[in-house]
Amino acid sequence: QNLSFQLNYPHESSASFSPNMAEHHTVSECKHKANPNAGGSLSGNGLSGGLTQPAGWQSLLSFTILFLAWLAGFSSRLFAVIRFESIIHEFDPWFNYRSTHHLSTNGFYEFLNWFDERAWYPLGRIVGGTVYPGLMVTAGLIHYLLNLLHVTVHIRDVCVFLAPVFSGLTAISTFLLTRELWNQSAGLLAACFIAIVPGYISRSVAGSFDNEGIAIFALQFTYYLWVKSVKTGSVFWTIGCCLSYFYMVSAWGGYVFIINLIPLHVFVLLLMQRYSRRLYIAYSTFYIVGLVLSMQIPFVGFQPIRTSEHMAAAGVFALLQAYAFLQYLKDRLTKQEFQTLFFLGVSLAAGVVFLTVIYLTYTELGCLYLYSVYAKIHIPIIASVSEHQPTTWVSFFFDLHILVCTFPAGLWFCIKNVNDERVFVALYAISAVYFAGVMVRLMLTLTPVVCMLSAIAFSSVFEHYLGDDTKRENPPAEDSSDEDDKRNSGNLYDKAGKVRKHVSEQDKPEEGLGPNIKSIVTMLMLMLLMMFAVHCTWVTSNAYSSPSVVLASYNHDGSRNILDDFREAYYWLRQNTDEHARVMSWWDYGYQIAGMANRTTLVDNNTWNNSHIALVGKAMSSNESAAYEIMKSLDVDYVLIIFGGVIGYSGDDINKFLWMVRIAEGEHPKDIRESDYFTPQGEFRVDKAGSPTLLNCLMYKMSYYRFGEMQLDFRTPPGFDRTRNAEIGNKDIRLKHLEEAFTSEHWLVRIYRVKKQENRQPLEHKLRSVLAKQKYTSKKKGKKLNKKSV
Amino acid sequence: MATDGSAARDTNCMAGPKRGRRVTSMSLRLPGTLLSYAVFVLSAGLAAQVVSGDGKTLVLLDNPNIRDTHSVFFRALADRGFDLTFKTADDPGLSLIKYGQFLYDHLIIFSPSVEDFGGNINVETITAFIDGGGNVLVAASSDIGDPLRELGSECGIEFDEEKTAVIDHHNYDVSDPGEHTLIVADPENLLKAPTIVGKPTEKPILFKGVGMVADPDNPLVLDILTGSSTSYSYFPDHPITQYPHAVGKNTLLIAGLQARNNARVVFSGSLHFFSDAFFNSAVQKATPGSERYPKPGNQELAEALSRWVFKEAGVLRVGAVTHHPVGENTPPAAYTVTDLVEYSIVIEMLSEGRWVPFDGDDIQLEFVRIDPFVRTYLKKNGGKYSVQFKLPDVYGVFQFKVDYNRLGYTHLYSSTQVSVRPLQHTQYERFIPSAYPYYASVFSMMAGLFIFGFVFLHMKEKEKAD
Repeated sequence: QNLSFQLNYPHESSASFSPNMAEHHTVSECKHKANPNAGGSLSGNGLSGGLTQPAGWQSLLSFTILFLAWLAGFSSRLFAVIRFESIIHEFDPWFNYRSTHHLSTNGFYEFLNWFDERAWYPLGRIVGGTVYPGLMVTAGLIHYLLNLLHVTVHIRDVCVFLAPVFSGLTAISTFLLTRELWNQSAGLLAACFIAIVPGYISRSVAGSFDNEGIAIFALQFTYYLWVKSVKTGSVFWTIGCCLSYFYMVSAWGGYVFIINLIPLHVFVLLLMQRYSRRLYIAYSTFYIVGLVLSMQIPFVGFQPIRTSEHMAAAGVFALLQAYAFLQYLKDRLTKQEFQTLFFLGVSLAAGVVFLTVIYLTYTELGCLYLYSVYAKIHIPIIASVSEHQPTTWVSFFFDLHILVCTFPAGLWFCIKNVNDERVFVALYAISAVYFAGVMVRLMLTLTPVVCMLSAIAFSSVFEHYLGDDTKRENPPAEDSSDEDDKRNSGNLYDKAGKVRKHVSEQDKPEEGLGPNIKSIVTMLMLMLLMMFAVHCTWVTSNAYSSPSVVLASYNHDGSRNILDDFREAYYWLRQNTDEHARVMSWWDYGYQIAGMANRTTLVDNNTWNNSHIALVGKAMSSNESAAYEIMKSLDVDYVLIIFGGVIGYSGDDINKFLWMVRIAEGEHPKDIRESDYFTPQGEFRVDKAGSPTLLNCLMYKMSYYRFGEMQLDFRTPPGFDRTRNAEIGNKDIRLKHLEEAFTSEHWLVRIYRVKKQENRQPLEHKLRSVLAKQKYTSKKKGKKLNKKSV
Repeated sequence: MATDGSAARDTNCMAGPKRGRRVTSMSLRLPGTLLSYAVFVLSAGLAAQVVSGDGKTLVLLDNPNIRDTHSVFFRALADRGFDLTFKTADDPGLSLIKYGQFLYDHLIIFSPSVEDFGGNINVETITAFIDGGGNVLVAASSDIGDPLRELGSECGIEFDEEKTAVIDHHNYDVSDPGEHTLIVADPENLLKAPTIVGKPTEKPILFKGVGMVADPDNPLVLDILTGSSTSYSYFPDHPITQYPHAVGKNTLLIAGLQARNNARVVFSGSLHFFSDAFFNSAVQKATPGSERYPKPGNQELAEALSRWVFKEAGVLRVGAVTHHPVGENTPPAAYTVTDLVEYSIVIEMLSEGRWVPFDGDDIQLEFVRIDPFVRTYLKKNGGKYSVQFKLPDVYGVFQFKVDYNRLGYTHLYSSTQVSVRPLQHTQYERFIPSAYPYYASVFSMMAGLFIFGFVFLHMKEKEKAD
C-alpha cells in the first residue's frame, strides 16, 4: 500500500527536472556530495518505518526519492550559471564572496579581526563583528576540506554552488521534520516540494551566495531537532537542537524567528495543558545552552539578553520554571494550601509581567514585529529596500503555486489530529503567514512550512484515494508521542483520550469510495502536481535566474543580447584608477564596487550608518557646487551612477532618486526638501515640466550629461529617456567640478571624476557693482561663464 | 573578468593630465607601509624650480627704452642671478612654451599697452604658464591693453578701463601736474606680510597708474597695496558721470596672487612704480606740513615684491614625514585605537638658495576623519617638527594633516592616510576585576556540583544498603 502511492513521487520529481536534462554535467558533482549524507540520514528511518513492506524496499525507495529531490533541486538552480557564467550574480553576495575570500586567504582569526578600511570610507567597517559569519565559515570550510583532499576548486566555485548544494540538505531536513510531524510519505512529498518550490529557489540559485541559502537548512534542521527533543525529552536531541540553533544564529538574522517560535510553542502547550517533563527538559536545556551559544557570535553579542525580541524566550523560560515548580508543589501540598499559593504566585507573576511590559514599551520600541511596521513608516532607508515592501497576493501564488491553496488543508489535518509537535507546525504556519504578508523577504520563512503542510494534505488525500480498500487500524496520525505523554506525565493530567476521539472520527468518510471517484481524484491531484512542477521550472527559469550583474535582452528573433555594462565599468575602475581612489555611489552598488573593482566605497549595502548614507544622498540631490563641498570633505575621487535611460533599465539611480532625497531629508531637513523635487502638481518628472531643483541637482546632471545630444531612434527627439518615456528637460548640462571619466557601452554605468580645485579663480562676472558696461564681457571666454541654464 | 576579488592589482595610472601630474611630482610611498599611504602635496612649482634665486626670465617690454628707464630694477634682478631675456611684447619670435616645455621660469610683463602679444604668446599661454608653476610680474599703466585686462580677470582681478587712473585729491605728490594721479601711497596701506613687502618702513610709495579691484570672496588674491580711503579710479580728464570703478580702500594699486599650485603673480597698476625715476625722486605729499622724503619706498618694495614673486622668499617645502607608535620605528599596517603615536615632519624654507629648516611656532597637526579629532601644535625638535599624542578611541580611516597657510608663504599641505582599527579579539582585557564575582560563582558552581554528585552517589548507595 505504501509502495503504490509512493511510486508517484519519482514522477513528481522527474517532471521537475526533465526540462533541465541538458545539465548533465552537474549530476556527477552532485552525486558525490549527495551520497554520504543522504545515505546516512536515511539508513535509520527506513528500517523503523515499514510494517507491511520489507524494510529494505522502503529505505531504498526513500533514499532514491530524496536523492532525486536533491538532484532536481540542485539542477533547477543552475539556470543562471549555465546561461551566463559561474560568478556571483547579485549585489549583496559580492560582499559575502569578498569576505569569504578574505577568510580563505587569511584564516579565521584574521577574518574575525578584519577591519575593512575600504568600506564606509572614512569610517571603515569591522567586518568580523558586523556579519553573520556562518555563510563564510561554511564556504571556507568546504573549500578547506576540498583542498585538503586535493580537490583544488576555486573559492568562487564553492561560493557559487553552495546554495544549490544546501538546498538538498534543506530537502532532507524538511523530510525529517515532516516525518516527525506526520509520516514518511508526507515527508518525502515535502522534500520534493521544497526542492523545487520557487519561494525558496529565489534565494538559493547558483550564484546567489546569500545567508538565506544556508539559513533555511539550519532553520528546518533546528525545528526537526526541536520536535524530536520535545517528543523524546532527551537532552541529547536538545543539545543537537542547540548546536543547530547556533549554526542558524551564525548564519542569518532570521534566527529571531526560531527564538520566538519555540517559546511560543512551549507557551501554547502550557496553555493547552500539555505540559510534560519532556517539554520541561527540552526547553530548559534549549534556552540555556542556546542562549550561551548564540551569544558567542560577535555580531549578536549581548542582544539575546538585552533586546525585546529575545524577551519572549526568557519570559517563557521563567514561566516554565514556575509551572514546573507549581506541579511539584501540587504533589506535596494539600489542595487548600496549593490554591492559596497558586493565587499568590499568579498575582505576583502577573504584576511582574505587567511591569516588564510597561518598562519595555517605554524603553524599547524596537520589537521585531513592531519594528518592521514602525520602520517602514519612519525610516526611509529601511522602507527603500525593495525586499521590505509588503507582499502582494500575486507573489504568494507565484512563489508557491498550488501549495498555497493546499496548505490550509494540511494545517486543518494537523489541528484536527493535534499533538505536541503539530501544535508547533500550526504555530509555525500561522506566524510565517503573518510575516510573509508584512515583508516580501519573509516569504522565505513561509515556504518550508507551506511545503510541509501541503505535503501532509496531498499525502492524506492520496492515502484516502489511492490506498487499498482494507483499512488500516492505526492511521499515521496516531503517533507514539501521545502515548508517551500519558506514560511519562503519569497521573498529572490526561488529555490523550480526547485526541483519540478525533482520530476515530476521521476514519468514517473513507468508507464507500468507488473506484471511479478514486481514480478521478488521483488523476486530478497528479495533474495539479505536474502543473506545479511545470510552474516551478518556468518561474525559476524566467524570474529567479536572471542575474543582476549581467543583463540580457531578447531581440525579436529570439536571439539574446548580453549587456555587460556593470562589469565593463567595474573593470575600468579596477584598471584605470588609483588603487586608493574613493568612489562615491548610491549604496546599492557599494558591495559590487568593493568586490569587482576593488576600490574604496563610501556607503554600501550594509546600511548601518544612516547619516553617512544621508550625506551621500545629500550630495546626489544638491546642486553641483554644494555637492562639491560634500565630496571634498569626503575625499571623493570618482562618482559612479547607474543610468538606464538609453536601454530602458528601470532600476537606475533616477528611479531610486526619491529615496536618496528622502533619506537626505531625514538627516538634513534644512537643505533638502522632498517637495522641491516635485512639480507643483506633485509629479516627479524629468522633462521640461520637472522642478528646477531636480533639473539642476547633481544626480540629474550626471545622469543626463551629454544625453541631450543623443538621438536613440528616429521616432523620438534627442535626449529621450526610454525608462521614463520623456524627453529630458535640461539638455544643456555643463559640469564645473566634475568631468566625465567613463561611460559604459549602453550608458548603464557612468563614472565621473571629481576635479581638483581650480588653480586660480577667474572672475565670473564684472566686479563693478553699479552699471557694469557690457563692453568687455564679450571678450571673456565662454568657458569661464558656467551659468546654469534651465 | 573582474570576478576575482583577490589581491588588488595595483594601478597607479590615472586618467587625466591633472591627476597624472600630481602623481608624478608629488606622491611618494613610505617604505614599510602596506595599508597606509602617504601623499605629500608640495608646491608643483618647487619640483620644477632650481633651488636658487636664479632662473630664466623673459621680460616683455612695450619698447626697448623701458630697459633703460627701469635699469635699476633690472640690474638688481640680474645681480641676484636672474637670467633676463628682453623682448618687445610684439616680437614675432616670442614663445613661452616649446614642445610642451616651459622655456622660462619667470615672466615679467612690462608692456601695459600691448594689444596683441607677438609669437605664440597670448593670455591662454600665460595662464597655462601660471598653471604650470611659472611666476609672473605684471605692470600696467593707464594705457592698459586688453590682454593684460584679460589676464587680470583670469587671475581674479579686474583692471579699470583704458585711460583711467587712480586719483587721490588728498595724497598726491607735490610734483603732480594737476590731475592728482601721482599718488603718494601710505605704507600703512601695505599688506602686513614682511615676506611679500619687506621690512616695514616709513617711506611713502609713489604710484601713478591704473587701479584694480579684486573679488573679496577670492581667497587667493592678496591686496598688497591699496589706495587710501580718499582715492578712486576714473578718467582724470573727464567729469565724473558714473560711479567710479573702484573707490577708497577697494582700489588696489598692487595685487598679488598665489595660485593653488603656489605659482605667484603680482599685478602692479603702475609701470612707473618700477622706474628709475620713481626709485630716486624725492617725495612729499602736497598737503601742507607733510614730511619730505629724499627717496620713496619704491625700490625696497619693488625688490621685496620681486623676491616674493620669483620665489626667493617665503618658499617652504615638506620633507620626510614619519609616524609610528611611540617606542617603535616603523608604522604598523594599521594603528589600534588609543595608541600613543609620534608624528614628525620636516619643513624647510628656501633661504639664499639653500633649503634650511623652517622656524615657525604655529604649525599645527590635525588628525582628521571628516572632522579633526585631534588638533595640536607641532614642536620644533632639531631639524623637524614632531608631536606625540594619543589616538582617539574611534576607529576609521584617518589622515595626519598639516595645513600651513600663512600670508606670504607657500601653502604647505601634507596629508598622510592611516587606518585606525579597533581592538583585536586578543587585545581585550582577559580578567576584569568587576567580573570576579562571576568567576567565583562559576568555579563555586563547578565545585558544588562535584561535591553534590559525589554525595548523591554515596547517599544512594547507603539507601540501598538500608
